[in-house]
Amino acid sequence: MLRRIAAWIDERAKVGDLYREQMIEYKVPKNLTFPYVFGVLALITFALQIVSGIILIMYYKPVIAHAFDSTNYTIMREIDFGWLFRHIHAAGANFFLAIVYLHMFTGIYYNAYKKPRELVWIVGWVIYFTLLVTALTGYLLPWGQLSYWGTVVTTEIPASLADAPVLKGIFGAIGETISIWMKGGYKLEDLALGRFFGLHVVFLPLILLGLVAIHLFLVRAAGISNPEGYEIDKKNEPEKLVPFHPYVTLKEGAIAMWYLALFFFFVFFYMSHFLPADNFEPADPLKTPPHIAPEWYLLGFYEVFRSIPSKFWGFVAFNLILLLLLLLPFLDFSPLRSARRRPLFFVMFLVFVISSMALTILGTMSPTPTNAKLGMFFTALVFLFFLSLPVISFVEWGWYKARGGQA
Amino acid sequence: MSAAGLIKTVFFTLITVGFFFIIWVYNPFAHKEVYELPEEAARIVGDPKAALEGRELFKQSCSSCHSVRYDGVYLMSVEAKPEWQKILKTMGKPILETQDGKVKIKGYYLPRDVYEAVALQDLENLKASFGKVPPDLSTIYLARGPGYLYQFIMDPQKVLPGTSMPKLFFPEYDKEAPQKVAKIVAYLRSVSEPSPSEKAKRLVMGVATVGYFILMGFILWFYRKRVLEKMGIS
Amino acid sequence: MEATRRDFLGFALGGMGVIGALGVLYPVIRTLAPSAASTTEAKVEIDVNKVPEMGLRVTSWKGKPLFVIKLPEGFEGKYSYDVKDTTNDAGKLNKDLFKGRNIFAVIGVCTHLGCIPLWKPEGDADLASPHLHCPCHGGIYTPWGDVVAGPPPRPLWVPPQRFEGNKLVVGEPGFVERLV
Repeated sequence: MLRRIAAWIDERAKVGDLYREQMIEYKVPKNLTFPYVFGVLALITFALQIVSGIILIMYYKPVIAHAFDSTNYTIMREIDFGWLFRHIHAAGANFFLAIVYLHMFTGIYYNAYKKPRELVWIVGWVIYFTLLVTALTGYLLPWGQLSYWGTVVTTEIPASLADAPVLKGIFGAIGETISIWMKGGYKLEDLALGRFFGLHVVFLPLILLGLVAIHLFLVRAAGISNPEGYEIDKKNEPEKLVPFHPYVTLKEGAIAMWYLALFFFFVFFYMSHFLPADNFEPADPLKTPPHIAPEWYLLGFYEVFRSIPSKFWGFVAFNLILLLLLLLPFLDFSPLRSARRRPLFFVMFLVFVISSMALTILGTMSPTPTNAKLGMFFTALVFLFFLSLPVISFVEWGWYKARGGQA
Repeated sequence: MSAAGLIKTVFFTLITVGFFFIIWVYNPFAHKEVYELPEEAARIVGDPKAALEGRELFKQSCSSCHSVRYDGVYLMSVEAKPEWQKILKTMGKPILETQDGKVKIKGYYLPRDVYEAVALQDLENLKASFGKVPPDLSTIYLARGPGYLYQFIMDPQKVLPGTSMPKLFFPEYDKEAPQKVAKIVAYLRSVSEPSPSEKAKRLVMGVATVGYFILMGFILWFYRKRVLEKMGIS
Repeated sequence: MEATRRDFLGFALGGMGVIGALGVLYPVIRTLAPSAASTTEAKVEIDVNKVPEMGLRVTSWKGKPLFVIKLPEGFEGKYSYDVKDTTNDAGKLNKDLFKGRNIFAVIGVCTHLGCIPLWKPEGDADLASPHLHCPCHGGIYTPWGDVVAGPPPRPLWVPPQRFEGNKLVVGEPGFVERLV
C-alpha cells in the first residue's frame, strides 16, 4: 500500500528522477578530504538553530520588563525541556560560526573561490556577514548585562568614524546616523529590543535561508572543487569520480553523527562558555560589567579595532579586512589552485591562520600596551596575507608560462 | 597519505582543536578572579537540606532588602501589605514544588513590572537609603558563583570596596556565622540550579544522547563500507 | 553470515533512526505540554451567603470556570425536567448526586465542545423552566447540569465539594467525593 502511494506520487512529482539525478548520477571527486564536510555540518547546525529557535520564540517576550524573566524563568524553569532548547540555541550559535569559519578557511586553503566559483565565495561571504548580524541581534535578546553592554559597544563602534582625520563633520554624521539607526534611538530601549527581535527571528533567518539555497545551487552549478586543484575530466577520468550517494552521503552522515555527539556533549555538560555567567544578571543601564568583550567570533575584528590607536583607522582596518575577504577571488588571480600545489600561498595561508587565531586570543586578554603592539603586529600580518596574493599570483603566472601553460 | 600530508593534517588538527580549547574551555590568558570557598562551606552549599534552612535564614536576614522572585520570596515590607496575597493570586503564577511525591505551591512568581509597580515605594525607600535598589537575587548564583557569594556575604567591603551592602554576619560574636552564610549560599544555589533529581535526569539524557550519536556514526560507517563493497568501490 | 550481518546493520540503522526521531519529538512535544502551574488552584472556598437565591456565581477551579448555584427551597417540586438518559461518571444523574442540596457547584464547561453555558433563571423560549443554555450548539442543561436537550453527551462535570459552615469548599471530598 505504502509502495503504491509512493509510486502514485512519484508518477506525478518525478521525485525519483530528481533523486537519481541529484544524488546518484551526481558525481563528485573521490579524493575529497575531511574538511569538505564542514559545509554539511554548517547546514545541520542551521537546521538545529531554526528548530530550537522556533521553540524559544513561543515563550520569549521581546519587552524589557519581561525579556530577562521570560528567558531565565519561563524557558529555563517553567517549560519542560525549555532549558534544552536554550542550550541548543546558545551552543548552536557558537558552533555555527565555528563551522562557518572552518568552512571558509577550507575554501581559502583549497582556493575554492577561483573561477568558476567566484560567486559561490561571494554569496558565502554574504551568508557569513548576515550570520554575524544574526548573532549580534540574537545576543541582545536575553537582556542580561552582557547582552546590553555588548550591544551598546557594538552600536557605538560606527560612531568612531567621527575621529576621521579629514571631513570630520560628514564622517561623524554618518557614524552617528548608523549608530542611532541600529539602536532605534539614543538609548537601548523597548524599540531597539523589538527591532533586534524582529530582525533576529524573521528577517535575517529568511535571508539566510534564501542565501543558503543560492549558495548550494551555485556549488552544484560550478561543481565541487578538488583538493588537487584541477577540474576532473568527466569523460576521460571516470575512475576519479564517485556517486554522491551513497559514497559521500554516508561518509558525511557518519561524521555528522560524531559532530552531533560533540555538540550535545557541550549542550548537556559544558554550557558555561555559551551561557556566560555575567549574562545571568539583568541588564542595568547604569552599571557596566568589569570585563566586557564581544563574543569570540568577533574578537579578531575587535582586536584589530582596539590595538590601532586611532579609532577611525581601527574602524577602517577591520572593515577593510571584511572587504578584502569578499574580494579574495580577484586578489588571487594565479592560474594555480589549491595550497597543495602552491608553496608560497601555503606559507601565507599559515601566516593568515595563525594571525587570525592570535588576534582572537589577544582579544580575550586585557588591553596592555604589549598586547596592543602584538595586536598591531598580527593585524599587519593579516594585511600582508591579502597583499601578498597579487604578488604570488604574478610570480605563479611566470612559472605557469615557463612550464608552457601547465599547472 | 604522504609524510608531508600527514604532518599538515596533524598540524592543522592540533591548532584548530587547541584554538577552540582555549576560547571555549580553558583560557589561560584571560583575566579571571578566583574566590575561595572553604571546604566546610562547599559541603553545606551542596546540601539540599541546608538550602531549606537557608531559605528561612534568607527571609530573616536578607529579605528586608532583597527579593528572590523566582522562588516567590519578596521584600518583607511588600509582603506585609494587606492586599499582597490577593495580588499574588490574581497576577502571579504559582511556583510548584514536589514534596514527598505531592505537588505543592511554594509561592507565587510575579511578573517584574507588576512587582515593581506594587513595591514602588518600598524600592524607592531602599534606593534612598542605599543609593541603588538592592538587586533581586534569583539568578545571582549563576552570575557570581558560590565562592564570590560566600566571601561577599561574609565581608562585603573586602570583596567589593565601597558597596552599600552591610556586613550582617560576625564570626567574632556568632560562631555559627560561616555556616549560616554557607546555608544562604546553598539556598541561592537551589533557586538557580535544577534540583538534584532533575540534574540526574539531565545527566542520563546527556549520556544517552551523546552515546546515541557516537553509535549511530559507527553504524553508518560500517553500513557504508558494506554498501561500497557491494558496489565495487573501495 | 554475510546476509545476517547486512541485515543486522540495516535493522540497527532503521531502529536507531526511529529511536532518534522519537528522541527529538519527545522534548519538542513536552515543551508544548500544559504547564503544571495552570492547574493548581486545587481548593476554592465560596461564601454561600453571598450567592443570591436563583443566582449563579462564577469562579474558577483548576483553571476552569466553576458555577456555584443556589436554588430556593422547594425548587425541585416546582419544576420538572424531561432529562435525557445520560449519566455522569458515578453512573448517576447530577441531581441525584446532590441529594436535594440547594447549593452546589458544577464545572461550567459544556460537555459537547467546551463552550460556557449561560444561566437562564427565568427560562426562555426553548424551555420555560430555569436552565443552563449553551450558546454554541444549543445544549440545554437542568440547573444541576443534567442534559435536557441538544448535543451534549453527558451531564456537566461535578468537582469534589463539601460544606464547612457557610462555606462551600470545592476541591476537597465531601458530599461529592471526586470529580465525576
